[in-house]
Amino acid sequence: MPDDARSDLRLSPTMDISRLSRRRLLGATAAVGASGLLLPGAARAASAPPKRPTGHVVIGFSQEPTVFNPLMPHIEVDQGVHWNLFSPLWLANEKGDLVPELAAEVPTITNGGISKDGLSWRVKLRPGVKWHDGQPFTADDVKFSFDLLNNPKFRAWSRNGYELMRDITVVSPTELTWKMSKPYAPMVSILCWTFMVPAHILGKAADPNTSPFNQAPVGTGAFMWKQRVPGDHITLAANPHYFGTGPYLEEIIFKYIPDLTVMFTQFQTGSIDYIGLQGITADHYNQAKKLKDRVVVVGPAPFIESITMNLSKPQFKERAVREALYYGMDNKTIVEQIYYGLPKLTSTYLPTQSWAYNPHVAPHVYDPAKAKSILDAAGWKPGSGGIREKNGVRLSFQNSTTAGNHVREQAQQLLQQNWQDIGVEMKIKNMPPAVIWGDYFNMSHYDSVMVGEDFMTGPDPDVSQYFLSSAIPAKGGAGQNTMEYVNHDVDKLLTDGAETFDRAKRKADYWKAAEIIRHDLPQLPIFQYATIEGTKKNLIGYKPSVYVSTNTWNVNTWYWAA
Amino acid sequence: MSAAIETSAPSAPARRARNRALARFVRHRLALFGLGAIIVLVLLCAIGPYLWIYNDLHIDIRHRFAEPFMGAHILGTDALGRDLFARLMSAGQVSLTVGFAAMAISTVVGTLVGTVAGYFGGAIGSALMRFVDAVLCFPSIFLLLALAAFVQPSLFSITLVIAATAWMEVARVVEAQIRSLRERDFALAARVLGASDAHIMFRELLPNAIAPIVVASTLNVARAILLEAYVSFLGYGIQPPTPSWGNMLNNAQEYLVTAPWLALLPGLFIILAVTGFNFVGDGLRDALDPRLDIT
Amino acid sequence: MTRFLLRRLMQSLVLLWLVSIIGFAVLHLAPGGPLAEFTLIPGMTPAQLKLIAHQMGLDRPLPVQYWEWFRRMLVGNWGRSYRDSQPVLDVIAAHIGPTLELMVSSTIIAVVLGTWVGVLGAIRRYSVFDYLATVGAMIALSIPTFWFGLVVIYIFSVKLAWLPAGNLYTVGNGSFLDYAVHLIAPSVVLALVTIAIWSRYLRASMLEVVNQDYIRTARAKGVPERTILFRHTIRNALLPMITIAGLQLPTLLSGALVTETVFTWPGMGRLFLDSIGYRDYPVVMGILMFSAILVLLGNLIADLLYAAADPRIRLD
Repeated sequence: MPDDARSDLRLSPTMDISRLSRRRLLGATAAVGASGLLLPGAARAASAPPKRPTGHVVIGFSQEPTVFNPLMPHIEVDQGVHWNLFSPLWLANEKGDLVPELAAEVPTITNGGISKDGLSWRVKLRPGVKWHDGQPFTADDVKFSFDLLNNPKFRAWSRNGYELMRDITVVSPTELTWKMSKPYAPMVSILCWTFMVPAHILGKAADPNTSPFNQAPVGTGAFMWKQRVPGDHITLAANPHYFGTGPYLEEIIFKYIPDLTVMFTQFQTGSIDYIGLQGITADHYNQAKKLKDRVVVVGPAPFIESITMNLSKPQFKERAVREALYYGMDNKTIVEQIYYGLPKLTSTYLPTQSWAYNPHVAPHVYDPAKAKSILDAAGWKPGSGGIREKNGVRLSFQNSTTAGNHVREQAQQLLQQNWQDIGVEMKIKNMPPAVIWGDYFNMSHYDSVMVGEDFMTGPDPDVSQYFLSSAIPAKGGAGQNTMEYVNHDVDKLLTDGAETFDRAKRKADYWKAAEIIRHDLPQLPIFQYATIEGTKKNLIGYKPSVYVSTNTWNVNTWYWAA
Repeated sequence: MSAAIETSAPSAPARRARNRALARFVRHRLALFGLGAIIVLVLLCAIGPYLWIYNDLHIDIRHRFAEPFMGAHILGTDALGRDLFARLMSAGQVSLTVGFAAMAISTVVGTLVGTVAGYFGGAIGSALMRFVDAVLCFPSIFLLLALAAFVQPSLFSITLVIAATAWMEVARVVEAQIRSLRERDFALAARVLGASDAHIMFRELLPNAIAPIVVASTLNVARAILLEAYVSFLGYGIQPPTPSWGNMLNNAQEYLVTAPWLALLPGLFIILAVTGFNFVGDGLRDALDPRLDIT
Repeated sequence: MTRFLLRRLMQSLVLLWLVSIIGFAVLHLAPGGPLAEFTLIPGMTPAQLKLIAHQMGLDRPLPVQYWEWFRRMLVGNWGRSYRDSQPVLDVIAAHIGPTLELMVSSTIIAVVLGTWVGVLGAIRRYSVFDYLATVGAMIALSIPTFWFGLVVIYIFSVKLAWLPAGNLYTVGNGSFLDYAVHLIAPSVVLALVTIAIWSRYLRASMLEVVNQDYIRTARAKGVPERTILFRHTIRNALLPMITIAGLQLPTLLSGALVTETVFTWPGMGRLFLDSIGYRDYPVVMGILMFSAILVLLGNLIADLLYAAADPRIRLD
């Protein structure tokens, strides 16, 4: 990534709106310039995009997109399709800059879109936008989308943030206002990932959960729904009335290839033009690099790989144990050998690209001798079979992850050996996803898991969902704090951070929280993921970003070099 | 075994007899070969790990993907630098154990169900056999996967799941045998003499049905080894770091291009073991039940 | 005949009912559930998960859920997929094509090759060919389908680059030739076991027919050997094979599942695996019922055809 990609997410009161509008106006040229930074040689010298949509791109995904109502529960791969069919009010581009989409501008305190207390919001919409069926897009659609998310009968994908909205009022077809029941800074970011749905279609549905719309979606995005062959592929066609840049492609095809190895083979033989989502496995990276007429990009991803522990288990209650375990992990070998040095070692939970990333958090050190002495000092003495024990508790636990993730299973086995060296027993018990990520994980039935998580709230560095003591699902909380981590200092810092729009203040709070959490070690971070994705050399426009979960967020600017 | 073959040899014109003898010899040799292969494999897997210089679980990440026949690791190393030969041997322990244990369970269950259904007939018998038919309606892998997806994978649970999909054939064979034996003189005589049902079933009838059970069991070992491989291949099998031939194959998939030996060798071991049991099973079928000689 | 059909129909319905109970129990009693993939969505709350469970009807007692399912089934409503909320029958219909294609083409290969091997083995009994065919068949039955698939991919796709490594067709091409080329490797892999079984049974059947009186009579009458072979022996030997073909259906379906996995074939097997992975209960149940119906139907048709082909057999 170029350095400027780490620049701040500009949603503070000081946000430079004129710069945003200029970026928007520059449109296509800006896109080419940015891709030039990422892609080597020939791609940079590429010509301008075609005048009319031309050609098609085959996008390979290793999971099958099946949910096409973007407000219903969905996973990353579905989002990969949503980005092309629908539009949010605004989005965060690959640099973290907010760019208006359906909105005419991004509301801030400076431009008066958000009141000083953060409670009143006013959003002006871009005029003249049309749904794929030709109907005009208006403020009614936005209100409808928000209302739908809060409709208790609707299977909403998330209510986080929306539930704070009150008095949503349509002022004119291109303007609406609402109140928040408390100031909530991440809301701007949450709206980056909220796609608008048409009131004139879904509003008429008897039950929006089962409306035909869900399988024949109508959006405002750069591409329109064309066809789905279940189990195989989805075809979208260019939207000639798209309000933004492009599209330059006649069709995009999302091809479902359930096996990463096969997907790579097909990338090799050229049957797919872009290999996305889980992308190329680290094992194939060296092979991929040497491919002719392909560009392989190692980009950052927002996911952090870590050993997450269930702190309610007696083995993990003591901080000394967790610290010793962390000293006992040979993370460097994991990254260098098993992941071929591609991801970045880390000891915290935010991606380095985030503006709230704290670079001063103590780095991880592999020091088995120190690990042993910490355990000795804490009274964990080797017992039968060399496994340490204290007060009748054996330092032995299970570790689980999604069965079939071979690379991760290798890392697991390496850790198993690492910890065995310091007298700790780890037993591997992997499970199919539908088992492990259900109640087992969510209701904290596990000992420890190896998992890659994006802790942020959309593109916002708010991690309340994961670390607040009120976010423990096993204790009835709303959130993902399945480690049952409780620290009231962290609670306060994170809550304060989310309630102010002052970037500097938020940053200070979040830095402090990161240091406390590094000290407490409720989880043992290993590395920040790198996505290894590839495109054909003459496909222009691909830009990986940590602010989205799938890098098909800007296909409207993709085109084939002439 | 050879005695049985001798006694079942028919008297026929000289040329045909010679050919048949030749055929039996050939078959006999195949069965012997199968038996030999099984014995060698069992010994290798049982004793080998204790004699071999490398440990199957020892990770040596700096020597990952060593090629076979090129260095100290005779069959090369895997993705974590573990010795492949050592892993193949201890994987054999797992796979063969699953094979034998699943066979034992399925044989016992199948025999019980078959005997009870065949002996009592009527409502109990047809209820049991309809249940058998219902389970047989599931293509075996569908049933296997449905079950395997829902248990915590362990040596024990995998064995149970495989046994659960393999007992029906035994039940059918036994039921048919017992049903026909039930009306024979010796069974009727036992009943007249006041023997209990259990005595008649298990003391009088079952010993006479032992031949097809032995044959079906042998073939079931082969089947179980294959099924373990399938379950592991589809990701529902034995947990790491314990190797089984199936999960070794599963892990080898993505190295098919860069390290093909990781996939080829476990596959060959599976084929050797399964072919061995199939040969022996076929040989036993001829030896124990000449009427079943379809080839 | 009508009585036979009615009886068989009744038996089949009872069987299907049993199948549905076994399937339903296995699916629902197991750990995990369709909500697992939602729990990782940021901002998902336990309350919301409860609501989703309620809307999907997953919070009701199991017997009630079964009864619901059963009642809907009776009126021909197979339910909707949890994943894409499409009717289960539509989902199955969308995946059945590729599987049938694979099964038909592999059956053709198996019948042609299996017949050839079986007939030749019977004619030249105890020859080197027969011996090799016997051993070969035994080994073929011992090769794990997926391993054979991987080896085929390694040799023909990776090393020689003659055949594609998977998929139904090349996106954007889709000509008949393209389809055919993609079909070769998976059909051959799937056919392997069937060739072995078919050739063994056919050989046995041939040998039985050769010893029949009417063949001896024909030979005594001086009918040429060729005519005896093709007119009488092979034709009659193929008769019992109809039953074998019907009984092979479950094996073929199982094999198709594995082959589809190796060759990323978007058929029923893939669908079944994915649906199990997502705990898409309605679709898994649908596939189980569908395949059970197929198997029962296969058996029935085999019996009927056999009776039609052989006048000595009467169904009653």
